[in-house]
Amino acid sequence: MTTTKSEVLLHTPGHVKHDGHNLTGFIIFLCSESIIFFAFFVGYGVLKITAPTWYPDGVSGIAVREPLINTIILVSSSFVIYFAERYLHKKNYWGFRIVWLVTMLMGSYFVYGQYVEWSELTFSLSSGVFGSLFYLLTGFHGLHVITGILLMGLMLIRSFIPGNYDSGEMGVESISLFWHFVDVIWIILFILIYVWQ
Amino acid sequence: MTITNYDERIIKVNQPVPGAPNNWRRFFGFNTDAKVIGIQYIVTALIFLLLGGLLGMLIRGELITPPSDLFDPTVYNGLYTMHGTVMLFLFLFPILSGLTNLLVPPMIGAPDMAFPKLNALAFWLVPVFSIVLLTSFFVPGGPASSGWWSYPPVSIQNPLGHFLNGQMLWIVAIGLSGVSSIMGAINFVTTIITMRAPGMGFFKMPIFIWTVLAAQILQLLGLPALTGGAIMLFFDLNFGTSFFNPETGGDPVLFQHFFWFYSHPAVYVMVLPVFGIFSELFPTYSRKPLFGYKFVAVASFGITILSLVVWVHHMFYTGTPMWMRNLFMFTTMLIAVPTGVKVFAWIATLWGGNLRLNTPMLFCLGGLFNFIFGGITGVMLATVPIDIHVGNTYFVVAHFHYIIFNTIAFGIFAGIYHWFPKFTGRMFYEGLGKVHFTLTFIGATLNWLPLHWAGLLGMPRRVASYDPEFAIWNVIASIGAFMLGVASIPFILNMVSSWSRGKKSPPNPWDAIGLEWLLPSPPPHENFEDDIPTVLNEPYNYGLNKPFVVDEEFYISKALNDS
Amino acid sequence: MNLKDNINPKISLIIGISFAVFIDLVLSKLMASWSYSWLPVQASKAAPYVDNLFAFETGIGTFIFLGCSGVIGWVLLFNRAPKYDESYGEPFEGNVKLEIVWTLVPLFLVIAIAIYSTKVNTTLQNLGEKTKYDSQKELPTYLDNNEASAGTFIDVISRQWSWEFKYPEGFSSSELHLPINEKVYFRLISKDVIHGFYIPAFRLKQDIIPGSIISYSLTPTRKGIYRLRDSMFSGAYFSQNQTNVIVESKDAYQEWINKTVKKVPVDGLNQAGFLYKKRLEKGDKGWATISPSPSPQVNDPGNPDSAHEG
Ligand code: HEM
Ligand SMILES: [Cu+2]
Ligand SMILES: [Cu+2]
Repeated sequence: MTTTKSEVLLHTPGHVKHDGHNLTGFIIFLCSESIIFFAFFVGYGVLKITAPTWYPDGVSGIAVREPLINTIILVSSSFVIYFAERYLHKKNYWGFRIVWLVTMLMGSYFVYGQYVEWSELTFSLSSGVFGSLFYLLTGFHGLHVITGILLMGLMLIRSFIPGNYDSGEMGVESISLFWHFVDVIWIILFILIYVWQ
Repeated sequence: MTITNYDERIIKVNQPVPGAPNNWRRFFGFNTDAKVIGIQYIVTALIFLLLGGLLGMLIRGELITPPSDLFDPTVYNGLYTMHGTVMLFLFLFPILSGLTNLLVPPMIGAPDMAFPKLNALAFWLVPVFSIVLLTSFFVPGGPASSGWWSYPPVSIQNPLGHFLNGQMLWIVAIGLSGVSSIMGAINFVTTIITMRAPGMGFFKMPIFIWTVLAAQILQLLGLPALTGGAIMLFFDLNFGTSFFNPETGGDPVLFQHFFWFYSHPAVYVMVLPVFGIFSELFPTYSRKPLFGYKFVAVASFGITILSLVVWVHHMFYTGTPMWMRNLFMFTTMLIAVPTGVKVFAWIATLWGGNLRLNTPMLFCLGGLFNFIFGGITGVMLATVPIDIHVGNTYFVVAHFHYIIFNTIAFGIFAGIYHWFPKFTGRMFYEGLGKVHFTLTFIGATLNWLPLHWAGLLGMPRRVASYDPEFAIWNVIASIGAFMLGVASIPFILNMVSSWSRGKKSPPNPWDAIGLEWLLPSPPPHENFEDDIPTVLNEPYNYGLNKPFVVDEEFYISKALNDS
Repeated sequence: MNLKDNINPKISLIIGISFAVFIDLVLSKLMASWSYSWLPVQASKAAPYVDNLFAFETGIGTFIFLGCSGVIGWVLLFNRAPKYDESYGEPFEGNVKLEIVWTLVPLFLVIAIAIYSTKVNTTLQNLGEKTKYDSQKELPTYLDNNEASAGTFIDVISRQWSWEFKYPEGFSSSELHLPINEKVYFRLISKDVIHGFYIPAFRLKQDIIPGSIISYSLTPTRKGIYRLRDSMFSGAYFSQNQTNVIVESKDAYQEWINKTVKKVPVDGLNQAGFLYKKRLEKGDKGWATISPSPSPQVNDPGNPDSAHEG
């Protein structure tokens, strides 16, 4: 800065932008995060196959119907969020906000459904291997869903800031990616806990 | 702090030196400049090296005689657990993050890291989890004392039954350390992938960058498994779950899988950047190109991939089926191949060179020498029948200190000396550096070489007392340990006095090739700012007359003017 | 190193290298035979196999180590830059042939070592199967070693911090008595945490996992008293969790059994309990520990002071 550049510049100086890595960083984060779930899934599988006792006393299985409804809602919200993103691309901000809110509501319904399921169960965190794993997996996933809903709320509020999308839609893209991630995790989880009984 | 008595003259330099013109206070605040963060990490980590070393000397004090006479065995167990934990999580990981922060942006010509705020946050978690960990010395019952492995069921026994216990704080600290490391890893990987200077394709990157990339990818893939295991351990300890608790059907060995799936690669997270440092320094001080640049670069990823599939070598005697033991023995031994490629390349780089034996080069040579030794004992440990004899004995302790201290810490010292002039703008005192090296080399050898024999004869590790036939090896080891304590004095003296009143450093005191050496010493806040050089070749062409960047002269004279 | 003055530098180089390799080989061979003395006495069938493997690797390791450090030493002696000399070394960038050689040679070497050790593994077959069981219910009774029809069967019970050995004749002991040259089968059982069953003179080690029993077998081949050490950290008094293994002739062993069966059970060897009591008397200073489990009731508490070899 303080130097005066040589009169004849023989080089073409490059310039690296400071921003614009958010999505890359976020994708790397998701890859890493998925390994925690992977670890839990492996733990579930190993213990399910090898534990001398699996279900707690008095429990012979786990109901599938309500969780299945929940699953359908969560999975469809992944399609809904896709349309929200489409609206945003087309600069239809109200369309985006409404569909985005629908996604949030579907997510919230899922959390509510989880809550109802938990409160009706007869076993707890400390009821042997299955109890521990069940609450760990659904709880950890539920935390992710709640985080996703909160982040969506944040994005919804920010959409009202004028000029919010001038420098790109990185935030919305990242959250939507996160939502798909949470969905895929749930599908695996559903198969492990409810289908593989 | 050392940085307080600041030399007036530095402040007159027209570029922001770390510490000037905003003065030393910047090191104590939330600063987003990677160079400040790097120094914050390094200084913090070195303080913890002193603490960890003190704990190490305390345990060596206990072990100088066979009976458990200096401490109660419970205290010994707490001390060795905290020693290992402090050394790994408060010294090694942070100091490597520090070097990485200092070096990555200048070496690839980036102005800063991709996410400067995340970077600062990652650093500030270090004091937070350090305090959490050290607090555990003062909770009722004392700190965690089940070793840095924290294997259940010992780790979930919780003798006093309190919710707030040393083991619990240990898990929280390790968890936070993991969060910090993941933040760092996301940052490093993103930076390296997206912010390289024009022309710097992957095969023109410095080897240090290759190794950092390989190491940080390992971090991203492995660390979450440990985090998962730690969460489950936490629940077992405090909420009565039964993941690892055999009394309620859990499986203690499952934890070992989670733990080693990360903690074996963790060793490579630590050693890979040191391989990078070796690969930078050997060519510079031999005045020769790095032998087989491409092989050395690719070998880093060979190591990364293999190191993800060897973890069971820590469980050869835990009831692992035969086929699994044989399989993992084989994969473990395979790591010797890419590692060998690197070692031979360094030796070939030395061959026929014009060696300048200053302090950084001495630490590199010492580190390489020790690494060859530690690598050989590593292959022995991978051999199932031998491991079944020497596993969990002092042979292992000796082996891993040969890697972790005699190689990794040596490489870190080499790196600190080598880049000290670049980032402080001051030269260090060569004489003190040589004293530091000599004491460290002799102390480390006395400390860990004899312990191989104690292990071969059957002395288990983690013992507070031992049978008298092992006394001789332990006495020598303890003398070495105390010598290492003494070795820290010239080092501290050197760092403090050189930084405050050392001779000013030119931009390129070692006549080295590399983007960082085209910058003034110390580099300005955003490194090359708007004049990012276009890279033409990899940075090892000593004596080959190949241009390194377009218009090199411009940068050289600019750096000279700005220094 | 002034090769240029030589009439034929290539030949003298080859002679020099062969000489160095020869010295290296001799030293490696010496080191390998010396390595036997670094290990405890060989007292089991497994020991010679392990020691041979170790000597083999010591030999190879020494060869590589001396080879590499020899080159480093040479360079340090003859390639040092004089003061203020900043000139470059010989600028060769690499050599693909050489790279391939030092990739393939180590590859074949480790494959060879792996095959050798896999063979040793298969020959030894000491470490058997691990079977999980429900701790609320009975222990599984079988032992699934291949030829488990004949031989001695002993239950090893480990606790924080004592050992108990249950013999099929219905008594237990704090020390492990074994007949020489006879295959012994064990069931390894832990009552609390993971312990390690480690007898250095036998070169054998097996972790004992609570919630599982592990089958395990070995054949002692040398009379004497050896040390059995807990090798997996098991808490406060881990380093005290040791006892003796006594290998004796068939007759002496039988005599010991006949004598011990008749003895009344007493408190077994429990060094940890003794130390913990002392700690309590001194005001329970130190960091927290769970209290040692009560001494096992054994018919022969043994003699912890008898001298051991290895
Ligand atoms: C003054 C220098 C040092 C001394 C005297 C020392 C000594 C020791 C001793 C006696 C043990 C106990 C081994 C056992 O009983 O299993 C130990 C363990 C350990 N040391 Fe060091 N050490 C030193 C430096 C280091 C450094 C620099 C590192 C890492 C960078 C390190 C990492 C470890 C680890 C990870 C353990 C294992 C702890 C465990 O088993 O949980 N040490 N050290
Ligand atoms: Cu490992
Ligand atoms: Cu190792």
